[in-house]
Amino acid sequence: MILQMDNIKKSFDGLEVLKDISFEVDKGEVVSIIGPSGSGKSTLLRCATFLETIDGGEIRYMGQRAAHTDENGQAVYVSHQELRHFRSYCGLVFQQFNLFPHYSILKNLTDAPIHVQHRSKEEAEQTAMELLGKMGIADKADAYPYQLSGGQQQRVAIARALAMKPEILFFDEPTSALDPELTGEVLKVIRQLADEHMTMVVVTHEMPFAKAVSNRVLFMDGGVIVEQGDPISVFENPQEERTKQFLRVFEH
Amino acid sequence: MDISTMFSTMSVGMLRSFGIFVLTLVGSLPLGMVVALLKKSRFVVVRAITSAYITVIRGTPLMLQLLVWYFGPFYLFGMNIGNWRFPALILGFVLNYAAYFAEIYRGGIESIPVGQYEACEVLGYTKTQTFMRVILPQVIKRIMPSVTNEVITLVKDTSLAFTLAYQEVFSLAKQISASQTSFMPFVIAGIFYFVANYIVEFVMKRIEKSMGYYK
Ligand SMILES: Nc1ncnc2c1ncn2[C@@H]1O[C@H](COP(=O)(O)OP(=O)(O)OP(=O)(O)O)[C@@H](O)[C@H]1O
Ligand SMILES: [Mg+2]
Repeated sequence: MILQMDNIKKSFDGLEVLKDISFEVDKGEVVSIIGPSGSGKSTLLRCATFLETIDGGEIRYMGQRAAHTDENGQAVYVSHQELRHFRSYCGLVFQQFNLFPHYSILKNLTDAPIHVQHRSKEEAEQTAMELLGKMGIADKADAYPYQLSGGQQQRVAIARALAMKPEILFFDEPTSALDPELTGEVLKVIRQLADEHMTMVVVTHEMPFAKAVSNRVLFMDGGVIVEQGDPISVFENPQEERTKQFLRVFEH
Repeated sequence: MDISTMFSTMSVGMLRSFGIFVLTLVGSLPLGMVVALLKKSRFVVVRAITSAYITVIRGTPLMLQLLVWYFGPFYLFGMNIGNWRFPALILGFVLNYAAYFAEIYRGGIESIPVGQYEACEVLGYTKTQTFMRVILPQVIKRIMPSVTNEVITLVKDTSLAFTLAYQEVFSLAKQISASQTSFMPFVIAGIFYFVANYIVEFVMKRIEKSMGYYK
């Protein structure tokens, strides 16, 4: 088990966004999360990647506990130092890429490995070049983010996350900020990673992609996981009324 | 007195003006960053004091501030202010410019999208690494035009040192003009400020250009 989240609760000033969510990801699994806007998908990813702190529940990576609820019902995290260790298990690809504009593509990929993980420059650059090759943008190593198309920038962002050698990679609507003709190249890269059994959790509105690539699909609504299962059963034979309703919108 | 004598007499003042200029920048550019960060402190008291400092400095004339720094110690503590003129002058300039730079820095820091911080956090950067490696370089690029404006203002503001009877180029021009009944010293002073700002603009443009490799 790579990630285990149990009874996660999260509110924003009184608004309950995650209501007792339990969710786990096995090694090599590809999980898609679908659901209407405001259902808490991003919040779940942000809690899993420690960008948000949970109010209650437990988070474990590789069986090690990163956060739990104490006897007073308060969520407690491990120390800052240890949290950095947990962060190294996970990578996150944002909807808006969030590349570093002042660094070349190569430096975007090597800066954190060198300065956070203390790997040698040679090794970091070699890894970076391999990843850029895999993403089909090796020729862009010396370019700057503004010189790339959105699809290329998102592939750099994926490579930047992979350069940290995470155990699990999260994607928050990786193609939503892209022009329709550019989504294909990004989805192709994610599909390729799935074929290599990279453990991934993808929040997406691309239903055909979710159906084709994932081992498991989760449908979230109103801060709870309404339904989950293999893609065939969720997409073709949903059990819950809310899932049916949501999927109907995507049929045309 | 011929022009070349006037010029060489005034060149001492030019050097002094230049000294005020350099010392003010050396002191206020880093101090402004400290003030900007204090204004974002998690302690309310620190934030309140910093805000008050910025408001007072920006709300009163620099000339008045210079007089306060110079005569204040005498009126408040009966201190002997014999050797205090130059330190008071630099203190006044540095504290004044630090407040303006702080506001420029703050604006720059706040203009960086939150996604940059989040990307750093997920990648495991420490707070210091995030600021030094990712935020600050982008802030510097964004604030360059405003910093240039302040630096140009500073060149001209150095003339306010005459308030404390410090003999920089402008005070000397006034004196020589009065004693020689000549308009020439003002022309020389004017050319001095103009050329100085020309150089400032040239240098700042070069710096801006060196950061123009990204958007
Ligand atoms: N930092 C925040 N402060 C206050 N409320 C927030 C914050 N972040 C999210 N929310 C609220 O939490 C709810 C869930 O938001 P979230 O972004 O997780 O939804 P989502 O499922 O990702 O939606 P979308 O498909 O639009 O991205 C929304 O009502 C949102 O307004
Ligand atoms: Mg979202």
